[in-house]
Amino acid sequence: MSLNFLSRNFKKFIFLSSVFFGVLASAQDQKTVSGNVTADGIPLAGASVVVKDTKIGTTTDFDGIFTLSVPVSAKTLVVSYLGYATQEVAITSGEMSIVLIEDQNTLDEVVINVGYGSQKKSVNTGAISKVTAKDLEGTPNNGRIEQALQGKTTGVFIASNAGQPGSSSTIRVRGVTSFNGYGGNNVLWVVDGIAISDDIGFLNQSDIESIEVLKDAASLAIYGARSASGVILVTTKKGKQGNIKVGYTGSYGYSSPAKTLNMLNAREYATIMNEKAIAAGQSPVFSDVSIFGEGTDWQDAIFNKNATRYNHEINISGGNEISNFYLSFGTQDQQGIVMSDISNYNKKSIRLNSNHKLFNKLTIGQSLGYSHQKSVGLGNTNSEFGGPLSSAINLDPITPLVETDPVEIYGPLYTNDYVIRDENGNPYGISPIVGQEMTNPLAYAQTRKGQASWGDDIVGNVFLEYAPIEGLKIKSTLGTKLAYWGYEGFTPIFYLNSSTGNLVNNITRSENKIFAWNLENTITYSKQFGSHDFTILLGQGAYEDDNPTGLSITHSGIPTNNYQDASFNFDIPASSKTGWAYTTEPHRVSSLFSRLNYNYDEKYLFTGIIRRDGSSNFGTNNKYGVFPSFSLGWVLSKETFWKDNNYVNQVKIRGGYGVTGNDRIGRFSYLSTIGGGRNYTMGIDELITSGSSPNAPANPDLKWEETRQTNIGFESRLFNDFNINFDWFNKKTVGILQPVSIPGYVGSTGLPSANVADMTNKGIEIELGYKKRFNEVNFSVSGNVSTLKNEVTYLGNDIDFITTNTAGFQSMGAVTRTEVGQSYNYFYGFETDGIFQNMDEVNAYTNSLGGLIQPGAQPGDFRWKDTDGNGTISDDDKTYLGSPIPKYTFGLTLNADYKGFDVMVLAQGVAGNKIFQGLRRLDILNSNYQDIALTRWTGEGTSNDFPRLTNTDSNGNFGKMSDFYLQKGDYLRLKVIQLGYSIPKSLSDKIGAEKVRFSLTGENVFTFTKYTGYDPEIGGDISGIDRGYYPQARTFLFGANFQF
Amino acid sequence: MRNFKLYSILTLLSIAFIASCSKDFIEVAPEGKPLEALYYQNEDEAFSALIAVYDVTRKNSGGFENMITMMNAGSDDHFAGGGGATDGVGIQSFSNYTESPTTIPASFWNDHYQGIFRANILLQKLPAVDMSDALKSRFAAEAKALRALYYFNLVRMFKNVPLILEPLTPTNMYEVLQASPADVYTQIENDLTEAINDLPASLLSSEIGRLNKGAAQALLGKVYLYDGKNTQAAAILAEVNGTPGSPNQYGNYLLTNYNDLWVVNNKFNAESIWEVAHASTGSSHWGVWGSGSDEGNSVNVMVGPRGYVKIGSTAPSLPDGWSFCVITQDLYNVLNGDPRFGATILDLKALKIAGEADYIAGYQDTGYFLNKFLPRSSDVSTGTGDAVLNYRQNTYIIRLADTYLLEAEALGGNGTRAQALLDAVRSRVGLSSIPVSMAAIKAERRKELAGEGHRFFDLVRWGDAASVLSSRGFVSGKHEIFPIPYLELENTQIVQNPNY
Repeated sequence: MSLNFLSRNFKKFIFLSSVFFGVLASAQDQKTVSGNVTADGIPLAGASVVVKDTKIGTTTDFDGIFTLSVPVSAKTLVVSYLGYATQEVAITSGEMSIVLIEDQNTLDEVVINVGYGSQKKSVNTGAISKVTAKDLEGTPNNGRIEQALQGKTTGVFIASNAGQPGSSSTIRVRGVTSFNGYGGNNVLWVVDGIAISDDIGFLNQSDIESIEVLKDAASLAIYGARSASGVILVTTKKGKQGNIKVGYTGSYGYSSPAKTLNMLNAREYATIMNEKAIAAGQSPVFSDVSIFGEGTDWQDAIFNKNATRYNHEINISGGNEISNFYLSFGTQDQQGIVMSDISNYNKKSIRLNSNHKLFNKLTIGQSLGYSHQKSVGLGNTNSEFGGPLSSAINLDPITPLVETDPVEIYGPLYTNDYVIRDENGNPYGISPIVGQEMTNPLAYAQTRKGQASWGDDIVGNVFLEYAPIEGLKIKSTLGTKLAYWGYEGFTPIFYLNSSTGNLVNNITRSENKIFAWNLENTITYSKQFGSHDFTILLGQGAYEDDNPTGLSITHSGIPTNNYQDASFNFDIPASSKTGWAYTTEPHRVSSLFSRLNYNYDEKYLFTGIIRRDGSSNFGTNNKYGVFPSFSLGWVLSKETFWKDNNYVNQVKIRGGYGVTGNDRIGRFSYLSTIGGGRNYTMGIDELITSGSSPNAPANPDLKWEETRQTNIGFESRLFNDFNINFDWFNKKTVGILQPVSIPGYVGSTGLPSANVADMTNKGIEIELGYKKRFNEVNFSVSGNVSTLKNEVTYLGNDIDFITTNTAGFQSMGAVTRTEVGQSYNYFYGFETDGIFQNMDEVNAYTNSLGGLIQPGAQPGDFRWKDTDGNGTISDDDKTYLGSPIPKYTFGLTLNADYKGFDVMVLAQGVAGNKIFQGLRRLDILNSNYQDIALTRWTGEGTSNDFPRLTNTDSNGNFGKMSDFYLQKGDYLRLKVIQLGYSIPKSLSDKIGAEKVRFSLTGENVFTFTKYTGYDPEIGGDISGIDRGYYPQARTFLFGANFQF
Repeated sequence: MRNFKLYSILTLLSIAFIASCSKDFIEVAPEGKPLEALYYQNEDEAFSALIAVYDVTRKNSGGFENMITMMNAGSDDHFAGGGGATDGVGIQSFSNYTESPTTIPASFWNDHYQGIFRANILLQKLPAVDMSDALKSRFAAEAKALRALYYFNLVRMFKNVPLILEPLTPTNMYEVLQASPADVYTQIENDLTEAINDLPASLLSSEIGRLNKGAAQALLGKVYLYDGKNTQAAAILAEVNGTPGSPNQYGNYLLTNYNDLWVVNNKFNAESIWEVAHASTGSSHWGVWGSGSDEGNSVNVMVGPRGYVKIGSTAPSLPDGWSFCVITQDLYNVLNGDPRFGATILDLKALKIAGEADYIAGYQDTGYFLNKFLPRSSDVSTGTGDAVLNYRQNTYIIRLADTYLLEAEALGGNGTRAQALLDAVRSRVGLSSIPVSMAAIKAERRKELAGEGHRFFDLVRWGDAASVLSSRGFVSGKHEIFPIPYLELENTQIVQNPNY
């Protein structure tokens, strides 16, 4: 704010001085110089044009044009504009065309949003990463802003929650902060000052002016009890002074799977199934293996290699001294790569932002976004319990996609009236050997047509800002998010196999609503006297959110069985109509906050924050929490002893400490309430009778989880063209809310919660940037690397580990564990030590008493490590096998342009984590295998890492959680490669355009990884558990961009 | 202009004032979840609390970890089965006697204590509830009888259990010690004795499903038998059994047709003394499976065959199941030729060989399935829940044939009354009389009650477990009881059972 103020004054000064000196100079010999100033082909309004070493100058008008009377002797113009490198240009006759280059190296001119205000980056003392509209421009828009952020900043781990279009992503700022359970690890989004605690799918990527990620406590504390897991500030675009501008951005392209798995073909499958059965003493499954060939490729049936995707966005903006506005409309449509009929996404959005000067000192502004999203989803992804992905992996390759053999069609498998058939009336193949939830995906898709969910979001704010005296601003902001979402779907009567069917059709409509709002009042006073510069912020806020209400109605047994005709209007008996509704009590926060920014000569920097939050989630005895922070900075390069040199141009050292909180700890855990639903069926008529009993014991002391963080870093510019930013942090969360495992004999139905556990995250973050112009080639590259070490340090007195919030896998039970001294939810299981090649090896594996350690083992079975050394293999031998949390995340962006051509490459990745590869269903004996099964142990010396296959698996080779299931999660992904071409200005001028650019983009072009599943990018509360993850698509897009 | 400034400042300040001063703003009260301190005011609330005590009896046949399939799996009559060697680590490891404190499902401990807690809090709150004394004593009797059942299951499964008779508080919950089994039995017997006094002999038709005097007597008889008090057992069981072969004082008699015991619609039939009710209308789904709002029978889906396809007309119409509790060849041989064979065992192996049906072999497949609880296509729920979780077959905790044989056992397996009791059980299925003896009673129990979850407890009570189950890995002096779940030892005074 203050910067705008300064620059406005500066312009005024230039204007006045040019008038003044113009008058003085009129006596001398004059000549007129004129021209235009542009950047990236766009006229720059308000750029300063001054004759070198004089005070003669002007500013460009709305069209970037200037005209200036200068002395005949004048040789050089100095042209400058905020954020661009100042240029000296020789005065020439005729129209001068001056192109300014954006200057990312001038640290001191970048302004960042710090929450409730902005600050020059050069005097900021926190760890804040900024992503600008320009950074986002090249990033393909897949409808989710989280994906656009991936790889662009340090300290932020982002993994898609599914490749389903429109899916949200898991975001972790500086690691896992809480033990979750209530979304405690989710970042707080603040969009134009509106705190958004839930989904931000409504945001339209091209509407975004900038994104700031607040990472250290010294920056976060201004958001107090809601900030421990990080805050992401989003600012949407505003109109700029100047002519009305019209822009269009669009793309169209195709998506396809980046990878498919190699499953066994029919002959290989039959061979292995027989081998397994015979090994278990059972009769072979297939009498003649030789009749089988390649068989059915189920993946081929589910993947769409030409899934379409388009995106169109139009924006209109403009403004003058009084008012400005930004209006945009966007529409996006994406087909999923898995069964696009039942996996697609559509979004339409409108935004209007405007600001008006009501009176001299009073400004009113508003931002308002509306979006409508419609999503059709597979119904079951990243689940081993059915759905197209899981079925395609587990189904046998022998069953045909469509059964055409008349003997089979009229056979017992297809007698049910509701077998799903193709357009020719032939039944989709039903597997007689792989049952359960593994169903023909083509048939499955037919049962899900006509099911869709939708969401409407209206997010906006209005603010009134009053600036009675210079430096003082009083601002009041009212923001709301009004969200409606729901589901509408018809489920027909169907029969997919003997265990999966539906006997009564139904049509369901559910509708939900959230009305969240916040009211904030702030007073900011900035003052400079001498070299002292300070800004004081005082604020007060009230927030209400997370208060959904909703209802759902189902009509069963309607007289049609196809989705096109399904309707709620059919007359059916009242007994076939069921419904329910719910109310969620609101989450409320009441806050007071203040901040002092001080700097001396932009050399010695200080920021102090204190915030007090009261939250409705806190227990009676701890209703309010106080969150203080401070940070200091020292700009060495401003010191007089620092000599200007060409090696180290700028250096700032900064450090801070702060306390933040997490109030997402669930509702009413501090009260002892009576819970219902402990029902029992009474009487012949099966009357379900309501039963009630107390829930968990009360804990009135319940309070926020507190995160204390120290951050030390520096920012520097070297050799004029290099930037290095470095941060080290140590973040400790104390009093993590944890269900207290009270003894079972207490008889509590739920567990009481208490602030128990502690956890630390430590890491370093390095951002490197390089930008240089080589003749006509502009080249820039920026890279970032973050490390993270997560460690649980305390779980309660004498408690070494906990079993709550673990990830389970099928019949294995928990496959992760949270333990003191290890990372949160690390992979926990048996360690394999090769395979017994023969009986001698089994007999040689003995304990100190000479007894066999694995008495039942056979050649071909895993040798389990007796990690506790007690001579037997038991659960006590389970041990640390790796962590799903990456140790490293990194990103690399490369930009270059030459004349009209430009190229952008974005790569990102993670390393140091493990992924649980759980694609195969364990309890279905005849599930298919990936072709790695061909390398199984079949005799001495055949394999030392893939055990023998047998239906009994008495050694638990596959049934036990072990390192066999874990793979390295390291990957490096060429996320974006983009080639662009902007037509020459002379050409675009002819059609009245400022800019015309075309581009070709490849998204998710290639992934370097050793992981054997579809995709190593796996989000989720505990990331890295792959049960058949919907993979990210590979997409090629053609794009166009016009500016008028 | 000046006025406007003043006005806007005032507006801003007043907004700030309103929002910051309302401390009540962050006081949000729960809706529809009464506070414990304000509950238990009237009869409706007390009844709701009583239903919550009944709720836990679902443990017999609801949820993946239910008593019937678990106890079957550890007997010589069944294998655990399922999809694979690790399909249900708890049930598998009990079946092959490798159970450990970490594999034993904690729910067999915790769920019963939840029932006990709910009984305890109701008994604590009842005196202050605004309702008639007669009703209060009936509610208390039901709570005590249910508490007795839960302790009986606990003491049989875990033997060394804490005896908790009133709600624990955070200050004393870690001080609890295990009680001697004798004390637990004494408490169970006292609870049942008191319950018998206050329970009604007969129930109104609107009350069917609640406990009557006969149910408590039957359980008490069984408890006495386990407690070695055979004389008392025989006496109280005689009250329940009446004249063998004739209706007892509560109207119970052996159904004429043994198969009718397994007809789903025959709920609360004349032979049933205490049964657990299930409903298909409960809309149970995976999210609540095994919890208090799950009203479905889970034994059904668990014991059904996998990938079942009916081919011929003689094959039954069955939905799919998970092939748990497959029947051993041993039990097949015992029942072969017995009139109860068909009701107990579905020989799918034979049907498959005959080309009448097909199915996918599960783990430890024998081809013999537990017909008493097989899911039926006609019985698949059409409600809004997950069909496989909403079977409605009720299961018996005690039925009259059971109490007949228990009394005959309590009588030492000899004498005319014991003979008459055994004869009645046999003649109902058309078998002739054989001389009564402990051996005859044991053999009859195995056949009559096969697959109903009694066999393991019977073998242990008779002292036969070690010899009968040794091939399964049963170790005498260890495997008669379960290990205490691992977490129960954390921060508590609980001592692990011997040899675990």
